[in-house]
Amino acid sequence: MAVTTRLTWMQEKKLQNYLGEKQFSLLYKASVRAISAKDLLQTCYNQGPTITVIYSFDRILGAYIQENYHENKPVRITLLVLEGTEISRCEIGPRLPHCFYCSWYDRNKISNFLIDLSEKTVKMSLGTIKELKLPENQKISFQECEVFRCEDLLDTRKMKGVTELRESLLSAIRTYKPYRDLVHQVRILLLGPTGAGKSSFFNSVKSVFRGCVTHQVLVGSGTTGTSEQYRTYSVKAENDGSPLPFMLCDSMGLSEEGGLCMDDIHHILKGHVPDRYQFDCMKPITQTNSNYIKFPLLKDRIHCVAFVFDANSIENLSNEMVTKIRRARRETIKCGVVPLVLLTCVDSMDLIRRGDIIDIYRCTPVKLKMEAVHRELGFALSDIFVVCNYTSEWALDPIKDVLNLSALRQLLWVADDFLEDLPPEEIDLKWIPFARPVRLSEFSVTP
Amino acid sequence: MAVTTRLTWNEEKGLQRLLGNVSLSLLYKSSVHGCSIKDMLERCTLQGSTVTVIYLDKIIIGAFILGHYPQEDRDFEKQTSSFHFLFKKNTTEITTAFLNTAPKITSEELTFYSSGYNKIFSLTPHKCHFFLATLLAKILKVRPGVFGYLECEVFRVEGIKDDGGYIRRITGATERRSTLLAELRNYKPYADLVSEIHILLLGPVGSGKSSFINSVKSVFRGHMTRQAAVGSDITSITELYRIYSIKDGKDGTSLPFMLCDTMGLDEKEGVGLCVDDIPHILKGCMPDRYHFNPQKPITSRHPNFTSPSLGDRIHCVAYVLDINCINNLTSEMVVKLKQVKEEVLNSGVAQVALLTKVENYHEVLQDNFLNMKKSVTSQSQIMEVQKILNIPIYNILLVDNYASDWEPDPLKDILILSVLKQMLQAVDDYLEDLPPQRTDEVARVSQLSICD
Repeated sequence: MAVTTRLTWMQEKKLQNYLGEKQFSLLYKASVRAISAKDLLQTCYNQGPTITVIYSFDRILGAYIQENYHENKPVRITLLVLEGTEISRCEIGPRLPHCFYCSWYDRNKISNFLIDLSEKTVKMSLGTIKELKLPENQKISFQECEVFRCEDLLDTRKMKGVTELRESLLSAIRTYKPYRDLVHQVRILLLGPTGAGKSSFFNSVKSVFRGCVTHQVLVGSGTTGTSEQYRTYSVKAENDGSPLPFMLCDSMGLSEEGGLCMDDIHHILKGHVPDRYQFDCMKPITQTNSNYIKFPLLKDRIHCVAFVFDANSIENLSNEMVTKIRRARRETIKCGVVPLVLLTCVDSMDLIRRGDIIDIYRCTPVKLKMEAVHRELGFALSDIFVVCNYTSEWALDPIKDVLNLSALRQLLWVADDFLEDLPPEEIDLKWIPFARPVRLSEFSVTP
Repeated sequence: MAVTTRLTWNEEKGLQRLLGNVSLSLLYKSSVHGCSIKDMLERCTLQGSTVTVIYLDKIIIGAFILGHYPQEDRDFEKQTSSFHFLFKKNTTEITTAFLNTAPKITSEELTFYSSGYNKIFSLTPHKCHFFLATLLAKILKVRPGVFGYLECEVFRVEGIKDDGGYIRRITGATERRSTLLAELRNYKPYADLVSEIHILLLGPVGSGKSSFINSVKSVFRGHMTRQAAVGSDITSITELYRIYSIKDGKDGTSLPFMLCDTMGLDEKEGVGLCVDDIPHILKGCMPDRYHFNPQKPITSRHPNFTSPSLGDRIHCVAYVLDINCINNLTSEMVVKLKQVKEEVLNSGVAQVALLTKVENYHEVLQDNFLNMKKSVTSQSQIMEVQKILNIPIYNILLVDNYASDWEPDPLKDILILSVLKQMLQAVDDYLEDLPPQRTDEVARVSQLSICD
C-alpha cells in the first residue's frame, strides 16, 4: 500500500497557509503502520514542528505542535478543524506529548484531548468542542490518522538553489546567439487582451537585467490598455551596457470592441510597422502611411510571438475575444511563427503563495488554468508557460526572476526554430530588401 | 536542529528526475535522530519505497529500495528491486548501477547481498562507515573498500511505480538513450542507394503528426523545439506541405532522414488533405511549403510542381493515429484511411502505423528496451489497426509526443528514438527489396542529385 497522504491539494494547502507557508512531510500513516502510541511518538520525537491530521468523515482535525518535542518536554498544542474551507482553532496544554495519546490503562481518563489509535476515536472535553464549533459529541470516530513534519516552504537551502538557477539562466540568455547569426537581436512580439500584463512582462524582464525593479512602460489598469503605440524595446546588460540579444515588442491590447486591428497583426509580423506607430483601432496600417516600412529586413520581422493572458480571467473570455485570439494565433502560424503562451497573475490566485512559485507547474489550480487555455484556445500544453510580473514590488525576487527567465529562454528557442526553418530565399532578406525586384546583374561578380 | 536535508535543491531535483518526477520526504537524518540502526528503523520501517543516502566529502552515494524497508534480522523473502547511484557534489550527472541485490538488516548493519550471497554494499550506522564491493565500485567508477561517511539520510519516495521492471528501465534509460542517439546519428541508408530518407506522416486532424516531428527534433536538439505548429482547432493547424530536416544539435549537421508533414485527414469530403494529392506527394512532386487545397489536388501546372525524381520520393509512409481514438473511428474515417492505403499500396513504399498519445508510455518497452511487451502488442487498439490498415504488428509503433509537458524525459526519448529506428529499418528493408532495375534507377537519380 502506498504511503501517501489522504489530504487533497486544496486541504493540504489550506492548512499549510494557515500555519504560515509550510510544507508537510508525511512521517506516519495509521492504515499502513498500525503501531502503538509509544512507537508513534518515537517516530515524531525530534522532528521539529509536527501536525497530526485526523480524518473524520468530511471533517479534518489537526493537532499542531510548534515546538520540537521529546519524551520529557511539555508542549502546547493547537487544535484545528477544517470543514469545507473554514478553519476554527483552539489552544490546549502545555502537557507531555504522550498525554495526547491514549494507552490501554488510561482509556477512561478525563482529558480535553485524547487520541485512541486502536479504537480510532478522539475524545474531547465539552469546552474544547465548543471552541472548535463541533457538534456536541465527545467521542469522534475517525478513519485515518497521519502525522506530518512541518517545514518552511522556503528555506535557505531552496533560496540558494533558486539564486544559482537564476544566475545560470541569466548567463545563458546573455550569451545566447540567434541561429547562425542571421540577426543580432530576435524580436519577440507580445499579443493579448488589454490588461493581461504584456507591458508588465517587459518591465519584469528589464528589471532582472537591470538589477532593480523598473517600470519603464507605464502599466495601466483602465479598460483600454495604456499602450496604444507600437513599441519595440531593447534591454541593455547591466555590466557593459551592450544590448541583449532580444527585443520585446509591445502592441495594443486585443479587445472585443476597438483594440488592436486584426489586420495589423500581419503587418507587425512581417516587420512593416515602425516603432512608436500610433495604432488606430478603426483601420489597419497601410502602405500609404508615411512611416510604413515598405522593405523590411529579416531583422525587422517578428521571430517569436507570445500570447499573454491573465490566469484569473481565462475562463471568462467572451466568445468575440476567443475568436480574435484564435484568429491571431492562426495568423502567426501562417507567418511561420509558433506562438507560446505566457500566463500572468498566477501569484494572485487563491491559495498560491510566494513559496509555491518555485514549483508552480505542480500546483493543481495552475494545472487547471493551463488546461483551460488548452481547451478554450487550442494551444498545446507544452506551449504554455507561467510568469510572475513585478506589479507592486520594490525589490527583485529571485523566485519570480527564475520563472520569467525560464519562459524567456523558451521564447529564444522558438525564435531559433523560426530562423532555422526560414525558406532560403527569405534568409537573403538580411541583404536584400523585401519584395523589391532583384536584377541578377546586381549580384554578378564576374566582370 | 532543523530536520533539513543536506542535498542542495539542485541535487534533490536531479534525484527526483532520476526516479521519474517523484517527491521525496525526509524520514531520518543521522545527525538529528541518532546514529544507531534502531534510530533508523524506528523512522523508516513500513514507509514504502525509500532512498538511503550517505554523504562524503565530495560525493554522495545512495541506495534505492523498492517497497518497505527490510525488518530486523529477517531474511529477505524475495529479491527486491534495489539499485545504487552516485553523484559528485554540485553536479546533476548521476551514475547508476542496477544489480540484483537484496537488502538485509541486522542490529548493526544494513547490507545489500547479491544473488550469490555476496556483500555488495553495506552501511554500519553507529560507526558511520560503509563498504563498497569491487563489483559495484567498478560500475560507479570509485575505489572499493571501507570508508567513513559524514551523514546518512533516508527519504520516502512518493509517486514511483511499484514495479521492478520500471526501476530497471529508469536506471538503464540514460545509457539506452545515448546508444540509440549514436546509432541514429551514424545511420546510412541501405547500400547508399539514396542520400536522404523521406518519411511521410499521414493521419486524421489532431493525431499528432506535427507533434511527432517536434518531438524528434527536440530529442536531437536537447531541448523542446517547436517548428511545426501544434495545438487544436476545428480545422487542421497544418495547412502547408512541409519537409523537415532533423539537425543534430544547434547549428549541427542535418541527419539523413526527413519527416514530411501533411494536412490532417478529415472524414468529410472536400475538407482536410485531398486523397488525390497523395500520389504526387509519394512521387516527390509536391514542393516544400505547398499550400494544400482540400477541394482540389495539385496539378502539374502548379508553378512549383517538381518533376518526379526518385531522390525526393517518399520511402516510408507512417499512418499516425491517436491510440485513444482508434476504437471510435467513424466509418467515414475508416473508408478514407482505406482509400489512402490504396494509394500508398500502388507506390509500393514501406508502411508503418504510429500510434500516439500513449499514456503508459513508460511501460511499452521490455526492460531491456529491445522490444515491445507482449501485453502491449496484444491490446485491442493494435489489433484494430492491424485489421483496418493491414500492417504487421512489428510495424505498429507506439509513442508519446512532447505535447503536454516540456521537461526532458529519457523514457519518452527512448520510445521516440526506437520508433524512428524502426521506421528506418522498414525503409532499409524496402530499399533492399527493390527490383534490380529500380535500384539502378534510384542509384542513378541519387548520383544525379549529388552532381547537382
